[in-house]
Amino acid sequence: MSNDPDKVWPTGLNLREAEEVHSYLIDGTRVFGVIALIAHLLVAVTTPWLG
Amino acid sequence: MFDYKRFALGRIASFGTRYMPFADVASEEVPLSRLLRLALFQVTVGMALVLMAGTLNRVMIVELKVPASLVAVMLALPLVFAPFRALIGFRSDTFRSALGLRRLPYIWKGTMLQFGGFAIMPFALLVLSGYGEAVDAPRWIGLSAAALSFLLVGAGVHMVQTVGLALATDLVAEADQPRVVGLMYVMLLVGMIVSAFAYGALLETYTPGRLIQVIQGSAVLTVVVNGIAMWKQEARNRSRATAPVQAFSFLDSWARLAGRTGMIRLLAVIGLGTAGFGMADVLLEPFGGQVLAMTVAQTTRLTVVLALGSLLGFGLASRWLGRGGRAMDAVCLGAVIGIPAFGLVLASALILSAPLLVAATLLAGFGAGLFGHGTLTATMRAAPREQIGLSLGAWGAVQATAAGLAIATGGVIRDLVLAAPAGGTTSASPYVPVFALEGGLLLLAVLVALPLRRGDPAAAFGPARAGAADERGTDCGLAAPRP
Repeated sequence: MSNDPDKVWPTGLNLREAEEVHSYLIDGTRVFGVIALIAHLLVAVTTPWLG
Repeated sequence: MFDYKRFALGRIASFGTRYMPFADVASEEVPLSRLLRLALFQVTVGMALVLMAGTLNRVMIVELKVPASLVAVMLALPLVFAPFRALIGFRSDTFRSALGLRRLPYIWKGTMLQFGGFAIMPFALLVLSGYGEAVDAPRWIGLSAAALSFLLVGAGVHMVQTVGLALATDLVAEADQPRVVGLMYVMLLVGMIVSAFAYGALLETYTPGRLIQVIQGSAVLTVVVNGIAMWKQEARNRSRATAPVQAFSFLDSWARLAGRTGMIRLLAVIGLGTAGFGMADVLLEPFGGQVLAMTVAQTTRLTVVLALGSLLGFGLASRWLGRGGRAMDAVCLGAVIGIPAFGLVLASALILSAPLLVAATLLAGFGAGLFGHGTLTATMRAAPREQIGLSLGAWGAVQATAAGLAIATGGVIRDLVLAAPAGGTTSASPYVPVFALEGGLLLLAVLVALPLRRGDPAAAFGPARAGAADERGTDCGLAAPRP
């Protein structure tokens, strides 16, 4: 476990694996962000807020 | 002295593997409970299909007053993505991942698309129908937003189903595949039936607020249920993660699959048969109502009878093929049963007998169940292990496109005959050409399928292909003892 030099503490993943897990997080954040933006725009069209 | 560092590392390492979404060791025997859990992705697929084709179809036309032709175009939009299922399957076969995963990332991406589509769909529909201040908004906003939401859900459904089926095929041994196919079909039906009743009850009293609640609730449910379905299902594969990059392009890979004996022929059978059975799906209820003067409750029961027949077909096919039957036999029998079934539908119009129509519907459902199960099992058996995704993608592409085109063609034929000056002489006449065409398509499917059945046993997609379990044997997770 801790004798593999590639592995990063504390998850036990190596660098490439950790970066892949991170990429899913980043992609998810981007997609959900864009979806939320579009949804807010559409709601603003039907029932405008802030004047 | 107590070794704090070793203790802490041990605890963290065991914590990590317990709460990671992938399985650590590929076990030889996958228990039924795990397969049942995986099949949950079909429930959300069924939910999405019912919501779009059934519930929203009605809500958009009746409550939101959107023109029917525009609704039809919107609902047909996801079909644009059907041919891409083959590409998605291929990409998941050859996906490069440091974690050694190949199906899980795609199921997750598909789930996100499905969620995203449902999240913006209610507002898009409200803008499209000109609710509230949206009356003054430019038309293109509602149109493009609604189109985007339907495209997102459609793409997500295609992605989740293709890659999910590929993962299920990866998980089980060759001999168990018919049972998995049966399970997947049954869960799809269960999802569709349960959600049809649920949406009907939830939208009984329609308000815009309720529409938003129901669709966004579906979005959350999709993510939760798909999350449960894919949790710890795919094993990490060290050898796949470190293998050199394959130089296959999609066309190379496709040429290799299409070059296998009987593959193109099998896809043709799938297209013809699915079109033959699919055309009846949306026309049986209006046929019962207009020709045999059945009430709404009675025609709804007709759809239930169709589903019941399919269930019987899936059950029989699972047992038969699971005991070593040949998939093409089930395909042929299913199509052969379908031909007299549609003949009986026409006969019921002649003698005006509702019980005969119910019997014919049960028979058609039974044939469709046998046919569907047989073709999917044949597709799984026809492909080598490393091309399962592409093969199932091709199955899905042909099947979804054929079903969509068939439903559209059936409706167009009926409307054309209805509009023709000499056409509507009796209430049954618009339906006669449609059901006759269905019988013809099924006959054609049988004729194309027969050589596959008569040919050598390998081409008939029988069970037990040598060396099938080899690739599974190489799966090894981090905790597996290394040789």
